[in-house]
Amino acid sequence: MFLAHVSSLQASIFSLLAIFSLLLAFVMLGSHWLRNYVYAFAAESWLIAALSAAVAYFGGYKELYVIAVLTALFRGLVLPYLLMGIVRKLNVKREIHAVLQPASSLVIGALLVMFAFVIANHMNFQTGIAGQVVVLALTIMLSMKLLGFLMLAVRDEAVSQILGLLVLENGIFLGSQILVPGMPMLIEIVILFDLLIIVACFGMLIRYLLVHAGTTSSRQLNRLVG
Amino acid sequence: MLNDIVLQVLQVLAVLLLAPLLQGFILKAEERVQRSTGPSIFQLYRDLWKLFHKQPIVPESASWVYFAAPIVAFTAMLIVPILIPVLTDRPLPISDMADMLGGGMVLTLGSFAIMLAGLDSGNVYGGIGSSRSAMLGILAEPILILVLVGISLLARAMLPFVVNHTLLDKPAVYWSPTHVFLVLAFFSLLLVETDRLPIHSSTHIEIYMIDEARILEYSGPLLAILKWASMMKQFILYTIFCNVFLFPWAMAQRGTVLGEAGSVLSLLLKFLVVAISIVVVETIQSRLRFYRYQEPLAAGFLFAVLAIVSSQLI
Repeated sequence: MFLAHVSSLQASIFSLLAIFSLLLAFVMLGSHWLRNYVYAFAAESWLIAALSAAVAYFGGYKELYVIAVLTALFRGLVLPYLLMGIVRKLNVKREIHAVLQPASSLVIGALLVMFAFVIANHMNFQTGIAGQVVVLALTIMLSMKLLGFLMLAVRDEAVSQILGLLVLENGIFLGSQILVPGMPMLIEIVILFDLLIIVACFGMLIRYLLVHAGTTSSRQLNRLVG
Repeated sequence: MLNDIVLQVLQVLAVLLLAPLLQGFILKAEERVQRSTGPSIFQLYRDLWKLFHKQPIVPESASWVYFAAPIVAFTAMLIVPILIPVLTDRPLPISDMADMLGGGMVLTLGSFAIMLAGLDSGNVYGGIGSSRSAMLGILAEPILILVLVGISLLARAMLPFVVNHTLLDKPAVYWSPTHVFLVLAFFSLLLVETDRLPIHSSTHIEIYMIDEARILEYSGPLLAILKWASMMKQFILYTIFCNVFLFPWAMAQRGTVLGEAGSVLSLLLKFLVVAISIVVVETIQSRLRFYRYQEPLAAGFLFAVLAIVSSQLI
């Protein structure tokens, strides 16, 4: 396994990149503004692209360079561009009636990270692959997934829900880059295009909602209209 | 030995004498950013001088707490510099009389005394200020404790000097995620504890004031002592942030005169960096609504919890 023999410098580069992408997930969790979510998502994708490039450089996986470029291009530029288009079309600039206020969702997010750490540590004990980077990558992967779920659960604007989904997916992608860097390139490309399709579909759905229901907040879509 | 005692006294004197300069620099820099001239960086010394020569006016309802509080606050701020590395990174004769938690307690004791003073005279504003600062204290104190616990987990010691040496000797510890999180958590604590935006207002005498409200009844020398104590608190927190957390480098090792002068200079340079980042925050941030002030504190708490989680990885 690649991670079994990384030097301490490589380990610290990987962990810093992974940790800053986790922090950006928290930025999304702690902000009110839809625009900030998109910016944080873009920055997170760039960090993950940098992580792929670092793994490619230190691990000697040539095809990961392609993945890094594609990640930066699609997740870092195209998806945020499309999302910004959607945000601009909406007449909503911020989450107003979120179920949880940002401060409490930050604290719950911290608890989720602790939970993820406990699980990752337990998995490490069971499989016995020693190494802090493995535990860290597992922790960050699990906690970004949990944070994505949390965003899906407590936010009710459609755009925030797409972003929750994308954060969840970014978490899995980040984990796969560190833990199993030798994944076939075809799968990665398929995932990237899937994401593009998801965002395009959501864009159409949001337009439909705006025209027919007049709102994109899931809270107001609860009412039965007949 | 005598040398060390002189150094210990010098540490306290450095905090005492340079504290108004730091606050003066921040005020000046903020005005310069807004393209106005601003007061001279030595203005606060003149203010203190003026206040010490004024006649104190005491409210009729004041009890002994009113007189004791400034003294307690000022004395607490004189004790803390003994415990932390200000000028030198070697332990001095009585610097191990309390660990970091003890230092944090002495620091908080000063705020507690001022809080009592705000309640003492029965003034409405004093009561509001004390209740607000008590609320902030309840939210900020767990972060302080968690940060101190986190840094002692990292260095396996509770003394600030040992922490400084650990960070100095092991770059791997310095660049570890735990340390990054601790620095971020301490920075958010620094904004709250030194009366900065986004919680405290930038203009002081107004309805949302917090720290100013508690000392509204004071005048003359007692007010000067209180102001000086709050400036010293800021200086002490900056010192801990720079010398223990962020920049453990460039401190006198042997205690020669030249070395001490050099470490005063490097301390001022370090403070320049931190003060400029504070000025940036104060310029780009707007003040938060009173009921949203738990947000920056929640962020600080989050960083502290993440630091402790990631310290388990090492």
